[in-house]
Amino acid sequence: MNTEEQVREIVARITHTDKSIITRESTFKEIKADSLDIVQALVAVEETFGIEIPDEEAQKFQNFGDFVSYVENQIAQKEKV
Amino acid sequence: MSLEGKLALVTGSGRGIGRAIALKLASQGTDIIVNFFRHRDTAEQTANEIQALGVKAELIRANVGDPAKIDEMFDTINNKFGCLDILINNAASGVGRPIMDIDVKAWEWTMDINARALLLCAQRAAKLMNGRDGKIVSISSLGSPFVLPNYAAVGVSKAALEALTRYLAIELAPQGICVNAVAASAVETEALKFYFKEGLVKDNRQATPAGRGVIPEDVANVVAFLCSEEAFMIRGQIIVIDGGTSIGMFSLAGKE
Repeated sequence: MNTEEQVREIVARITHTDKSIITRESTFKEIKADSLDIVQALVAVEETFGIEIPDEEAQKFQNFGDFVSYVENQIAQKEKV
Repeated sequence: MSLEGKLALVTGSGRGIGRAIALKLASQGTDIIVNFFRHRDTAEQTANEIQALGVKAELIRANVGDPAKIDEMFDTINNKFGCLDILINNAASGVGRPIMDIDVKAWEWTMDINARALLLCAQRAAKLMNGRDGKIVSISSLGSPFVLPNYAAVGVSKAALEALTRYLAIELAPQGICVNAVAASAVETEALKFYFKEGLVKDNRQATPAGRGVIPEDVANVVAFLCSEEAFMIRGQIIVIDGGTSIGMFSLAGKE
């Protein structure tokens, strides 16, 4: 399972959403994720991939695709180090 | 009043009240373990300011709502220091919603971070405080004895924290550990600015009998006192820091 799929699974589990409807263009509002869902998703993703996602960065995510791209970048940077 | 040479863990000390407490204790000669969760940059800033005061600062990232992370944090403290003198149970979170909108997830999130964390941290801290006259101080809220709008989950979690403070005070007294809490009214922090913006609290600075709002340093001063030997006979109490707001009925009616 690639990074995007893993993040999608986490977000779907936390928001009780069918993962097939979560696309890269989906906004958190469309997924009906409230602020607590978002924090829990961030924490779950951080723990899964061993990365940190500061709130200031998370606030910039416009949609699920932004979230995935940030995670992919962080993983790539971690692998470089 | 000196706390020189002591070691304190201040949960949630990257910002706000926790940061002020960490700096106050550091200014009295206490080495500080800065626990943070979501904001590494501010925690690093706090740690730098602590070190500038001439004491040691150690950063530990941990979500105190997660028992496994609490264990990891205390394992690190145990391995690195092997002891602890002061636990400040400050980290808090919560969901501001009316009662009818509080679901199980919101309830558990709030209770786990605000109430259960005290139980789990105190259990681990007490072992590290063996023979060291330990102090445990928690940060409560006036949302425990009073009803505030959209504050039920947090208010109830703080009521649990206060009851736990009393039980800990008695059960840990034979080990020489003093346990207390402070409850402040709206403290002027970044978190409060958010609540103002959301309309969850009113700006009540004008209605405070003491003439100004409570600032983090007001809380830090009382917490530092509770950590001192001068406070030895205060056990299981919740000290209110609100400039008289909660007892001043005229302030509820508004000043002319």
